[in-house]
Amino acid sequence: MNKKLFKCELLNEEYTVTTLRNGLKIYIMEKQNFDSVYAVFGTKYGSIDNCFSLNNGEYIEVPNGIAHFLEHKLFESEDGDAFAKYSKTGAYANAFTSFDKTCYLFSCSSLFEENLDILLNFVQSPYFTEQTVRKEQGIIGQEIRMYDDSPGWCVLFNALEAMYHNHPVKVDIAGTVESIAEIDDNLLYECYKTFYNPANMFICIAGKVDTDKVLDKISSAIKPCDKIQINRKKVDEPASVVTNYVEKQLEVALPLFCVGYKQQLKTEEPSLRDSIAVNLLLKLIFGESSHFYKRLTDMGLINDEFETEYFTGRGFAAILLEGESYEPKKVAEEIKKEIYSVLKNGIDAELFEAIKRDSFGDTIKRYNSVNNIAMMFIDAAVSNYNIFDEIEILREITLEEVLKHIEIFDENKAVLSVISPKEK
Amino acid sequence: MGAKLVNITNGVDGVFIENSRFNTTIISFNCYLPIKKSDIASNALLPYILTSCSEEYENFTLLNRRFNMLYGADLEVSVDKTGDTQHIKFSVSVINDRFAFDGSSIVLDATNLILSLIFKPRLNGKSFYDEDINREKRKMVENILGEINEKRLYAKNRIIAEMYKGLPYGISKYGELDDVEKLDGSDLYSAWQRLLLNSYVRVQVIGDVLPKDFFDTVAQRFADIPRNPYTDYKAFSTLEPSDTVHYVTDKMNVSQGKLVLGFTSETNGVNCYKFNVMTDIFGGGPYSKLFENVREKMSLCYYCSASPAVTKGHLLVESGVEFDNMERAEKEILNQLIAVQNGDFDDTTFEASIKSICGSLKSCNDSLGSLDSWYATRIFTDELVSPDDAIEEISKITKQQVIDTARGIKLHTVYKLIGEGSARDE
Repeated sequence: MNKKLFKCELLNEEYTVTTLRNGLKIYIMEKQNFDSVYAVFGTKYGSIDNCFSLNNGEYIEVPNGIAHFLEHKLFESEDGDAFAKYSKTGAYANAFTSFDKTCYLFSCSSLFEENLDILLNFVQSPYFTEQTVRKEQGIIGQEIRMYDDSPGWCVLFNALEAMYHNHPVKVDIAGTVESIAEIDDNLLYECYKTFYNPANMFICIAGKVDTDKVLDKISSAIKPCDKIQINRKKVDEPASVVTNYVEKQLEVALPLFCVGYKQQLKTEEPSLRDSIAVNLLLKLIFGESSHFYKRLTDMGLINDEFETEYFTGRGFAAILLEGESYEPKKVAEEIKKEIYSVLKNGIDAELFEAIKRDSFGDTIKRYNSVNNIAMMFIDAAVSNYNIFDEIEILREITLEEVLKHIEIFDENKAVLSVISPKEK
Repeated sequence: MGAKLVNITNGVDGVFIENSRFNTTIISFNCYLPIKKSDIASNALLPYILTSCSEEYENFTLLNRRFNMLYGADLEVSVDKTGDTQHIKFSVSVINDRFAFDGSSIVLDATNLILSLIFKPRLNGKSFYDEDINREKRKMVENILGEINEKRLYAKNRIIAEMYKGLPYGISKYGELDDVEKLDGSDLYSAWQRLLLNSYVRVQVIGDVLPKDFFDTVAQRFADIPRNPYTDYKAFSTLEPSDTVHYVTDKMNVSQGKLVLGFTSETNGVNCYKFNVMTDIFGGGPYSKLFENVREKMSLCYYCSASPAVTKGHLLVESGVEFDNMERAEKEILNQLIAVQNGDFDDTTFEASIKSICGSLKSCNDSLGSLDSWYATRIFTDELVSPDDAIEEISKITKQQVIDTARGIKLHTVYKLIGEGSARDE
């Protein structure tokens, strides 16, 4: 067991990262003045991991949506349903699957140890049968249908499809009704065996806990596993976009848009420092205090739904600017114009100072919540960094460094996705 | 916590909840006015104008930069219905002074800023500037139109409008589209006057310290205002049961149907905890009757859940289902209600519900936003009720009380949103 302590004087907080001999990483922050605890057991396995090999064997390609399907099914063990067990303790339990991870979580204000037992137990006890798989196909089928009617979801995935030729990030996390129909119990076991190995997993806990006791419990509860080698098939993704415009009609009142700028990554994913810099850049150019935001609001082109995101994960990165507008094409043009203007005129230093303070305050606020702390741990576990570094980076980063990232706004790699109202 | 209401001035109360576990302080200014068709749209638009500019900061860019400089102080505005009362909320959450780079008093500065937005707006004589009104009107109209994007929320709003047709609670929280479009400067000025003169106001501060003399400062702001505050905010009016069930169906180009069932109850403000527990056993957590049967056993949907509207005493069951499965789902939801009414749920489920509700109430103390919202929406009682007080009451509830509460539940309206090509049309 290897245990490291991280401290932040400014916040008066500390946490430990412990790596067990089997490779499982455990993040714990004690918050003794809180009533509740938030705990997550996760794996670096998400919707994009759909072609892989175990221990240098042959690559197998699995149906889209299988990571999410597995998440649903893992709640059922041979000795009963995990929700039923949680219901005896009163904990809130849930799970989620993203592009590159699957996480099982609970929050509770009492009986933490019992809840941790339930979490550790069910995540390590897969139980899939033909019958239970079939039952879940109906439920997830309805989840997929629900998202089919969500314009916000569709505008994003259409933008991703327009940007990515081959990368599986363009595929809906839940898959399609057709792809999940191909899932069976054997495939689920295959994926489980590959990705639910402790070496590929992490546990994140924040709240009223005793670190040493928790570590003892986890160490003794983790089942022995063979060391494995996971190879995720490298995707050959061209730098170019597939198409620069995509439009779909749905039942909406005014059009939704998503402008995306695809980034060609030099590393597997952007560093924490680069992510902070790009997020600052987005606030500077497009945030609520920017000239752009005022100009487009005054022109009636955007409303409070307008938002930006640096969308990143394993093997993909893009800038996304989303919102509602009667004139999406004009918004996309104005975004380009604004980039030219910043390239020509720069950004005033006073605004940079204001945005830095704003981001610093946002970071401090995140430590108000055990839920947020656990979420920060998840990102840190997946991308391997110290969460306190964010504060230091924000203190020292310069406008010059931030502005270097403007090169991501490459016009040739821009896409516009629009959801427009159905023609009656 | 033992927080108490402090009377600041006529119809203005203050609450300070001391809580040192956060890095942040939240200050919220909650104004309550009766829901009236003639006023609801202007009352709803007003806070968005007040928080987009002020006498000191003439446009939202300057104002936002000021908030940025206050270390990302979050200014939030919301408009909601609490019973038959319109609840207009201004809040600012700001990191505590010890984090300031230069030793400045961030909390006090943010507090003064929010007061200046409410009391010193950007006025053009006895009106607001057209540019500010038109900008916020356009955004409000787009916001109302955009409600159609989220079909689950749209279906929920539709059933409320149908259940409360002709009643104050049936009006959309932002007012109707036509009413918003007609608003002018004098309407907004009147709304501002109403807010200052006639609303019941509750000022809440949650943090490690109450900013020095804050409640006195609030009293001074109101000193020259001839207050005639709204006093009926504690009234509790519920929807009468209906002799016949109303069926409403809308058609839209959707791939999944939405089914919402609206029920009345015999709840009044006093017995709301029993109502909460009963609703939770019926369709709350994963141990509930609806989750176990409609989702897990029958695989009819991804979600099928019941939620109580405590301030109006009604209950909604919402689900997303295939058009062809709607009748089966409706029938099963009603079967499960009968099961609860017959006491057909075991002690494990009952205890799970009590533990789950108490657990989430306990967690309220760990969230500034939850605490603020908890106190701001509980205006029906004379004494402040804390989440811990609620836990104590809920722990005393018996299974029989849940059954009795369930027996007072009556189906009122069934709302369906179906696809345009769907054969089912009622």
